[in-house]
Amino acid sequence: MTLDGDSGHPVSERVRLAGLAAQAIAATDGITPTRGPVGRWQTTSESGTVDGVLAVEDGRGCIELDLHLAARWPPAMPLQLIAEQLRGRVRRSAAIFGMTQRLGAVSVAFDDVLAEASSS
Amino acid sequence: MSTLDKTTAPSNEVTRRHDSDELGGERGQTTIGEGVVTKVAGLAAREVPGVHNLGGGTARAIGSVTQKVGLGDARTQGVSVEAGEKEAAIDLTIVIEYGESIPRVAEAVRDQVIKRVEGITGLKVVEVNITVNDLYFPGEDEPDEAPRVS
Repeated sequence: MTLDGDSGHPVSERVRLAGLAAQAIAATDGITPTRGPVGRWQTTSESGTVDGVLAVEDGRGCIELDLHLAARWPPAMPLQLIAEQLRGRVRRSAAIFGMTQRLGAVSVAFDDVLAEASSS
Repeated sequence: MSTLDKTTAPSNEVTRRHDSDELGGERGQTTIGEGVVTKVAGLAAREVPGVHNLGGGTARAIGSVTQKVGLGDARTQGVSVEAGEKEAAIDLTIVIEYGESIPRVAEAVRDQVIKRVEGITGLKVVEVNITVNDLYFPGEDEPDEAPRVS
């Protein structure tokens, strides 16, 4: 467990991986995280809330990530490629922070499309 | 009202799949919601010149009310999608601008919807059924009377 730089709260590996995933989402063009109905797709901790990322221990020592996204219209590339790009970013970030062994499956769900005149 | 026949599209990639990494473990799956396919189809249809609006008269009337109170979404109005793991069938109800060729616009809509849905989602579009519900006459939406106050 490490300390969050901003709040000073202890941060678990689960929350840390969720944060890395959020950074990967922010760094990927054409997508934005969706928190889902009543914040269903969020990871919350004392140090804050990560929208669009569910980080769950899988019971085998790994942490699975469920990423929930909205794609901006028109997408610059097929959604599967965006998902692959995102997965790659998350895995690279996890490797940089020495968490490769802890990172399980990274599932990507596209739940919405956001156009300029979006009403949702 | 005119219903134009279905078409088929060339084969493409699947939308839901399991990817294995070099270690043979599961890397996770990619899921594309049916709502996403519906919105992509609706937005694609609206890109075609000659398409004035989507949806039947009742759907448009209800849609205009629900959108005003923040419940509706114009992008899904007039679009019905049945999506499986690899294929999708799409039904569209459209309003075409008066003077445009209905068969030409319908074919252009079909091409655009197939191109966008297959390109973006990877689903194979097996059917695009188009119902031309109404014609739009320019000026139709303008108020009948000028406002009494400026």
